Amino acid sequence: MSGADAGPGPATQPVDGPLDCPACGESAAPGSRFCEGCGTPLRTAAQVPLVIDPDPPAAESGSGPGSGTTAPTAPASDPATAARPCVRCGGAVADDGYCTECGEPAASERDHWSEIPATWVAGVCDRGIRHSRNEDAMALHASADAGATGFAALVVCDGVSAAPDSDVASLAAATAARDALARGGPGGAEPVTGTLSARMGSWSALVASSSQVANDAILATVGEMADRDNPPSCTFVAAVVDGPLVVVGWVGDSRVYWVPDDGDARQLSVDDSWAQEMIAQGIPRADAENAPQAHAITRWLGPDAPDPAARTAATVPEGPGWVLVCSDGLWNYCSPADDMATLVRATQEAVGTQPGANGPDPADLAGALVRWANAQGGRDNITVALARFAPAAGTPDENASASTR
Amino acid sequence: MAEFSAEVYQNEFLSDGATDVHAIVTVTCTGAGTAGAESGGGVAEIIMVDTSGSMSGRNIEAAKHAASVAVDQILDGTWFAIIGGSHVANRAFPYPNARVAMVQMEPGARAEAKRAISMMTPGGGTAMSTWLRLADQLFETLPRSTQRHAILLTDGKNESEPRANLSSAVRDVTGHFQCDARGVGSRWQVDELREISTALIGTVDLIADPSQIAADFEALMRASMARGVASAELRVWAPQGSTVLFVRQVAPTVEDLTTRRSEAGPLTGGYPTGSWGDESRDYHVAVRVASKPVGSEQLAARVQLAVNGEVVSSGLVKAKWSADEALTTRISPEVAHYTGQTELATAIQEGLAAKASGDEATATVKLGRAVQLAQETGNDEATSRLRRVVDIDDEEHGTVRLKRNTSTLDEMALDTASTKTTRVRR
Repeated sequence: MSGADAGPGPATQPVDGPLDCPACGESAAPGSRFCEGCGTPLRTAAQVPLVIDPDPPAAESGSGPGSGTTAPTAPASDPATAARPCVRCGGAVADDGYCTECGEPAASERDHWSEIPATWVAGVCDRGIRHSRNEDAMALHASADAGATGFAALVVCDGVSAAPDSDVASLAAATAARDALARGGPGGAEPVTGTLSARMGSWSALVASSSQVANDAILATVGEMADRDNPPSCTFVAAVVDGPLVVVGWVGDSRVYWVPDDGDARQLSVDDSWAQEMIAQGIPRADAENAPQAHAITRWLGPDAPDPAARTAATVPEGPGWVLVCSDGLWNYCSPADDMATLVRATQEAVGTQPGANGPDPADLAGALVRWANAQGGRDNITVALARFAPAAGTPDENASASTR
Repeated sequence: MAEFSAEVYQNEFLSDGATDVHAIVTVTCTGAGTAGAESGGGVAEIIMVDTSGSMSGRNIEAAKHAASVAVDQILDGTWFAIIGGSHVANRAFPYPNARVAMVQMEPGARAEAKRAISMMTPGGGTAMSTWLRLADQLFETLPRSTQRHAILLTDGKNESEPRANLSSAVRDVTGHFQCDARGVGSRWQVDELREISTALIGTVDLIADPSQIAADFEALMRASMARGVASAELRVWAPQGSTVLFVRQVAPTVEDLTTRRSEAGPLTGGYPTGSWGDESRDYHVAVRVASKPVGSEQLAARVQLAVNGEVVSSGLVKAKWSADEALTTRISPEVAHYTGQTELATAIQEGLAAKASGDEATATVKLGRAVQLAQETGNDEATSRLRRVVDIDDEEHGTVRLKRNTSTLDEMALDTASTKTTRVRR
């Protein structure tokens, strides 16, 4: 980039120097091509088209392939045509489809992307190593501020590998469900309001219906593929954070974990899987999950879905922590909630906190967890979405935990 | 307009932990046209004829005839000169008293050159370094010539100077012009001419009888005139942190290019390939990369041909780690074929060297291995040349006995042809 010889530490951004990171806000060192914090490619002021947007959306949904219905953010380069830098080393990718530095094949936007709708909510969706395509999908939404009025909706769908074109189904499902949930958020078409218990009920209903919306979106998207013997299909998991409240819903074996900074972690979702049925019958978890048919899911979304309504659970967690939404590409390597908590805390320790930030950066953490899963072998697509849960000081009036499952 | 294409033959699947990637890249040139057609008169030819005392008789008459035949093949407009070489080098044409070092071919010059050739007389010793250095000086008078080619003919050993003189002259002129070297009869040294032709991107061959020189010169000069691409560079890109183990030309002949690398860009080595006509050459490239987890893919090399600094064709060598043994244990037939042919060349040369030094045990083992490899790779010409030097008891196992009273010519023919490869049957 041309700003390499800009003076050190300018107080204001030079026109030809790199802008602050569009993804995480980290200030950019002169001459740097990639964000120190999250690795997002940086552009110089001269390169960013001047977009006058008097009323930018409070929550934007990143640059992922699922952002079609929301306004794309200014720094999002055109994913279809722009040559993205190498995902492994940041080098330039040649026309022949491989990195000019390390030889890594070019990743398509669908193979690897991040969404950072707010500083406290982020996710990374990655193809992994073994699979030739990324059939996972995610869609995130968040209000700018966390805390008592913070709102986030995180949706992850894992396409069924055995059914061709499930990557199409999962992306359609995640995007539709995220948009349906956003309608209930502040500023949405039908904001959820009322007491904590009233909101708990409303959100549980909305989460259950969002998976039906997702299912309808799959049917609309796959068209004639629905008539196949093995039509495109996917799992579904969603987590809504509404102030002190967390409501989750699922169809299949993608998961939500609650990982508090202190205390015991919990898996908030309950897999719809053969393994879970065995565990329910008293088979030890390790045995059940390592059986060959462990991953057979008993419920899914798609044209042949037995029951597309998500089962839900609502909770009011105590103290700060992480709401972690993930596909089995992560949890396969770290299934028990305690192990997951250990992993998240150790990873958080390794990633550290950016100077000036209030807490650990979810984008850094999600990226590090995806890298960890790839380091374990990356046998499946990996999606990790995180919301930093930090209720405002002072406990809410109704400090109850309830489950409707 | 010349067009290049590159095809890659390899098994890209590597087992867990494997690091070495091998590929054969076939580069083919079509539509090369004639020498100078595109570079506009930048072509220069020099014919070097041995005029030492040993040439007296049939050899010098045949060589003079051959030089005249070669002159007939040089296209009008091409710059040229004739050198007579003994322990010193003399410019035979343009005449020594001419003010120009080289002239452009036209009918008058052709007739005058033939007259000059006819006046060449044998005498003196042999110091080929002086011939090469004079040729270099003559070419240097044409700084704008982009395509420089020479033919060198000798009948004897380079006896009038230390071997180091020849080696240092070869080093000094490398990259300045290309040279095909020919030895007539059985009293010249294969290693001396091979050193010249290898460094100067040419061929070496034995001409058993002087009557065959003319046909050979005619073919050499015609081939040179059909090389419409003055110069091209093979480029090999390999990823950060990897090692290029070797780069070899493996067809039509084996030439190790590894040490001729120059930096051609970031992570990219350039290897000279000289001029190109309508032809196809095969290259064996081996790269060592860091092993990656099963399921990973990466590019291990880009093998490209560049003309005038511009990449005209590119082949991709890939690495994909797999746990499927059916994929990873498969051996690329092309890689196996040329690996065998390269080993064949080495076995022949080492076997003959051992035989010459009286080490019959080593010679028997090496030439036996050569017989085995020639059979395995289907190089029938090598097999028939080997039969003149050894008696074969068991071709498959490489069991041979050294022949008594073999002719020197047969051994030299085997040696000079050792680097010629056969193409893999596809």
